Amino acid sequence: MQEILVANNLRKSFKLSAKQRKLEKTDVAVKEAVKDLSFTAYKGEIFGLLGPNGAGKTTTLRMLATLIKPDSGDALIEGKSILADCNDVRRRIGFLTSELKLEDFFTPDYLFDFFGSLYGVDKTELSNRKRTLFSRFGIDRFAEVKFGNLSTGMKQKVSLVVSIVHDPELVIFDEPTNGLDVITAKVVTDFLEELRRDGKTIILSTHIFSLVEKLCDRVGIIIDGRMIKLDTLENLTRDANLEETFFAIYNEVTGGRL
Amino acid sequence: MKNVLTIIKKEFNRFFKDRRMVITVLLPGLLIYALYSLMGTAMSDLGKVDEDYKPTVCVVNLPEMLSEPFGAAFELTEGTAEECKTKVEEGALDTLVVFPENFTAELAEGRTPEVKVYYNSAKDNSYFAFSMVSGMLDAVNKTAFTVNSSQDKFDLANEKDMTAQITSMLVPMLMFALLSSACMAVAPESIAGEKERGTMATMLITPVNRVEIALGKIISLTCFAMLSGISSFLGVMFSLPKLMGGVITAETAALYSVGDWFMVLAVIISVVLVIISAFAVLSAYAKSVKEAGSIITPLMMVIILLGMVSMFFSSVPPLGLYAVPLLGSGLAMSSIMSFTITPAAIILSVLSNLVTAALLVVLLGFMFKSEKIMFKK
Repeated sequence: MQEILVANNLRKSFKLSAKQRKLEKTDVAVKEAVKDLSFTAYKGEIFGLLGPNGAGKTTTLRMLATLIKPDSGDALIEGKSILADCNDVRRRIGFLTSELKLEDFFTPDYLFDFFGSLYGVDKTELSNRKRTLFSRFGIDRFAEVKFGNLSTGMKQKVSLVVSIVHDPELVIFDEPTNGLDVITAKVVTDFLEELRRDGKTIILSTHIFSLVEKLCDRVGIIIDGRMIKLDTLENLTRDANLEETFFAIYNEVTGGRL
Repeated sequence: MKNVLTIIKKEFNRFFKDRRMVITVLLPGLLIYALYSLMGTAMSDLGKVDEDYKPTVCVVNLPEMLSEPFGAAFELTEGTAEECKTKVEEGALDTLVVFPENFTAELAEGRTPEVKVYYNSAKDNSYFAFSMVSGMLDAVNKTAFTVNSSQDKFDLANEKDMTAQITSMLVPMLMFALLSSACMAVAPESIAGEKERGTMATMLITPVNRVEIALGKIISLTCFAMLSGISSFLGVMFSLPKLMGGVITAETAALYSVGDWFMVLAVIISVVLVIISAFAVLSAYAKSVKEAGSIITPLMMVIILLGMVSMFFSSVPPLGLYAVPLLGSGLAMSSIMSFTITPAAIILSVLSNLVTAALLVVLLGFMFKSEKIMFKK
């Protein structure tokens, strides 16, 4: 199996402000969000990162997407380091997260072309991709409506399409179905399966068990910044369903603390 | 360079297709014109009296020697001092002049008799009459010699010199104030605004070099600020003849050659580049548009002050000062307007601004790379 992403001992900590320290009832000035995280994702698989809120999933994904730098450790995406070859990494990944917004003022058509141009996509290829993706997601009817005037579901579809404008090998999706109705959510999950069929690698971060059970080939469970368990979905759900397995692991690690 | 162009195109699209943004930038020029013209008209009307107006004056004990000139200049009326004072107060009479009974005799004896002139400064006509009376009395007083009483042209300054002096003081100050407020109108929204709305992050995950993003932003913002600056400048220039009431005329612009105006334009563009870059750096540091506004305000005041510094140089400043960014530009604008600019001075001032702006663009690029600056909450 071809390795697309290899993350080695990623660590990331953040300084806590006096206010945050008070809220979390701690004297420690630094919070370790990600502790020595390592994992590998292979070509053509959907790799799920499962964990509760604040476990370090999003921080990990932001490091992989080169938005923030790890304190130590590195990750290679198709052999390119997220530290040394930022721009090569950026060319190879698509990142969809609620943190990255599109300008309300522009239309989906304009946004697709603008980001396509920034990624250096050839004009004919860009136009073909736009036609295919826009009709696949039903964006074509809204192509000239300002992004700010679109519905939540349509906004998410446009964000998704823009994030993969350059046809990346590795697609990182952070909670892609959050806030979507069942129909739009299904369009998104169907598309993830389609991407897998096309041989793309997908990192999917979520806390929704059913989504992981439906889509993922392998799952990494992150709790408190550490990769507690990493296995195939099949192995993880052999004796119990994913939810039961997760809570068994969670209770073991945290002692049942909520 | 292709990415810089893509970003410039996007910024232009954002700006010119949004009517509100265009109006915010161009409106100040129109407003300045309307406001200054109104102020100018109001000020010149203030204290203005019809030239043919003959004031009504009541004179008590009018000496023989003054009866002829007073009779010619004023409409003389009779009355007691007390009555007339009330009339002046009410505005029914312009002035009351009370001479001592033996005024002529006192003058001849070399004493200084007091002439009392009662007037009402709240009434334009009364004040006008008072000035006329004092003028005539001054003339009597100065029988030994006179100063400039003939019709000769005593102020030897020519119109060009006078205009040059005033414009060389006004233009740098006005331009610095107008340009920095123009930059203030566009920079925080485009940098801190994008950061606040999360759209900057979307651009930062693309493989575009950060300095290219910075450069694209700075070039487009400079164009918008220039538009706003030029609109305000035209507003000021067109309203100045009205505001200054004849000191600066509509022909002022014609005193300067096309070359002079090109030099001013070059200096202005370089100034906008520096101000926009500095404001962009501060906007990138700020967490929100609001915060950017409050961080930039003190710097804006310093910039306006720099524009005023050039007013305090009476002689030609040392060449080295032209190399100080912004300050040198103020001096250069002032020197162009007073016809004392040298090629070395203009090159130094423009070059120092360009180097400063370039350094600030690189700094902005580095800031875009810094997660602490771009993603702090």
